[in-house]
Amino acid sequence: MLKLNKPGAQLIFVVVAVFIAAFLIFPLWWLVSTALKPEAEIFVKYPSFWPSAPTFRNFERAIGTSGLLTYLRNSMITAVGSALITTSVAGLAAYGFAKFRFKARQPLMLMLIAAQMFPFAVLLITIYPLLRHTGLLNSLTGLTISYIVFSLPSSIYILYTFFSQIPEELLEAARIDGASELKILRQVVLPLSLPGLVAVAVYSFMWAWNDLFYSLTIMSSKDMRTVGPGLMLEFFGEMQQDWGAAMAASFLASAPVVLTFAFLQRYFIQGLTAGAVKG
Amino acid sequence: MSGAVDVRWPTQPGVGAIERRRRRFGFLLTVPALVCYLILILYPFLSSVVLSFFKSTLMAPDPVYAGFDNFNRLFGDEAFGKAWLRTLVFVVLATSLTLALGLIWAIVLNQGFRGAKLLRAVTLLPWVMPSAVTAMLWAWLLHGQYGVLNAYLGRLELIDEPIVWLASPIGAMAAIILAKAWLSTALVMTFFLAALQTLPMEQVEAARLDGASNRRVFRYVVLPHLKKTLVVVMVLQAMGNLQQIDVIYAMTSGGPASATSVLSIEVYKTGFQQWNMGLAAAIGVVWFFTISIPAVIYLRTIFRD
Repeated sequence: MLKLNKPGAQLIFVVVAVFIAAFLIFPLWWLVSTALKPEAEIFVKYPSFWPSAPTFRNFERAIGTSGLLTYLRNSMITAVGSALITTSVAGLAAYGFAKFRFKARQPLMLMLIAAQMFPFAVLLITIYPLLRHTGLLNSLTGLTISYIVFSLPSSIYILYTFFSQIPEELLEAARIDGASELKILRQVVLPLSLPGLVAVAVYSFMWAWNDLFYSLTIMSSKDMRTVGPGLMLEFFGEMQQDWGAAMAASFLASAPVVLTFAFLQRYFIQGLTAGAVKG
Repeated sequence: MSGAVDVRWPTQPGVGAIERRRRRFGFLLTVPALVCYLILILYPFLSSVVLSFFKSTLMAPDPVYAGFDNFNRLFGDEAFGKAWLRTLVFVVLATSLTLALGLIWAIVLNQGFRGAKLLRAVTLLPWVMPSAVTAMLWAWLLHGQYGVLNAYLGRLELIDEPIVWLASPIGAMAAIILAKAWLSTALVMTFFLAALQTLPMEQVEAARLDGASNRRVFRYVVLPHLKKTLVVVMVLQAMGNLQQIDVIYAMTSGGPASATSVLSIEVYKTGFQQWNMGLAAAIGVVWFFTISIPAVIYLRTIFRD
């Protein structure tokens, strides 16, 4: 789109590109690099770009001296659980909104999508006593349910734009063949919308995995912590100065989301941008 | 009817039994989502609004009706006004920085040079990092004694003494803005890149034939094409930044003093550290009205189609 035939324009382009790339990539490199450095290379005035004597000591400390593995397990359970619930609930609703013209369709959908503007912290003021009364405070079930709050509204919207693109004729044809609505949903709609469902599942998984503040408030005991509060409370603070272990733990805590994302990126980007970019 | 085919059937406003059954099925599909919504979103929200008119503290947790007491207390409190302004500063600066970087980065990647795809994938990673990791990582980059930023600035002789970024009010605010921009730039880029890929190239070529410069092509062809995406992305970012709590809390806990204590942090501190739930809910209500400005713009934009 840009025409870069003058050397001046080329220079500006390259400088800008390198600057932004460095801003986005360098911190990631620094995380990895610090995690691999021995202490003698971390706590120096002018740290080196490459670890000159790479070591896994930091990883050993990060796993051995903390509850990191427990936190990872708790995060996995809550994130997978809430992704499954959100995706199925949002998927059904979005299909209903996109393909059936029942009366209250528009106001109900507006209401659901508008929920994105309710501040999460404010909702927690009431969700907290709600969980206490039902005995779900400090439990993986309680946290999993609370995570639905984050991604349900936007998931419905993303899937709505997805289902809207399924041609009406396809559903009509199946109906003429005598298929029941449930059968159409299972055999026609579900296979077609798989990329969208995957996108929403990844999206909800990430929201839950990356959360700090709900977990910090809802989970009070140490063995119930997820990675967010776990990292923060064990590796970060005035008392805690072991940056090598902190970066190694950060690496391990990011790996599951990074891998999930790497494998499913294509679906994910398609699904996420479909709504905002159309037209 | 007498056996004749009713030709009006497909367009007739009154609906037949089959269509009615079908619509009921469609509505039933939305019921699980509506139930989740009512219990986990609408009820908590309304109940917080109601609570904002009650006094409920750690010492006396049973809510007692207090009229506008909580709001009067907020509006009479200079610190609250400052927290509101601080939130605005954070949202405006973080949103503009993210949007500018995201747009430029999308234009760069859209040039389609070798390695652009890989670069796009790698630069998306900050966005999937857990908030606690982002916060720790940036605190480490900006560390006063051993931070790499100070080291490089020192090497370039731009500073004489290392700066303890998170210890100064402006430095801490800059740090959370930078960390948040780092986190979201690639997401914004993704939206812009998707929009740029649908840019009608004939228009660009036509403008080029007329001798238009890069700047004019951008101003008169690209920008109008991106307008809707720009509005949606800007509003989503503004709403997200208004909601932001995780990274800020982990990085600075709202400090030093309360230099980075935005409304989300104020709600958390008032509610879950001082256990003054009524007052926390009142802050939340004011916060909600602040968010509703970009939210209404967003809803109007997406529902226009």
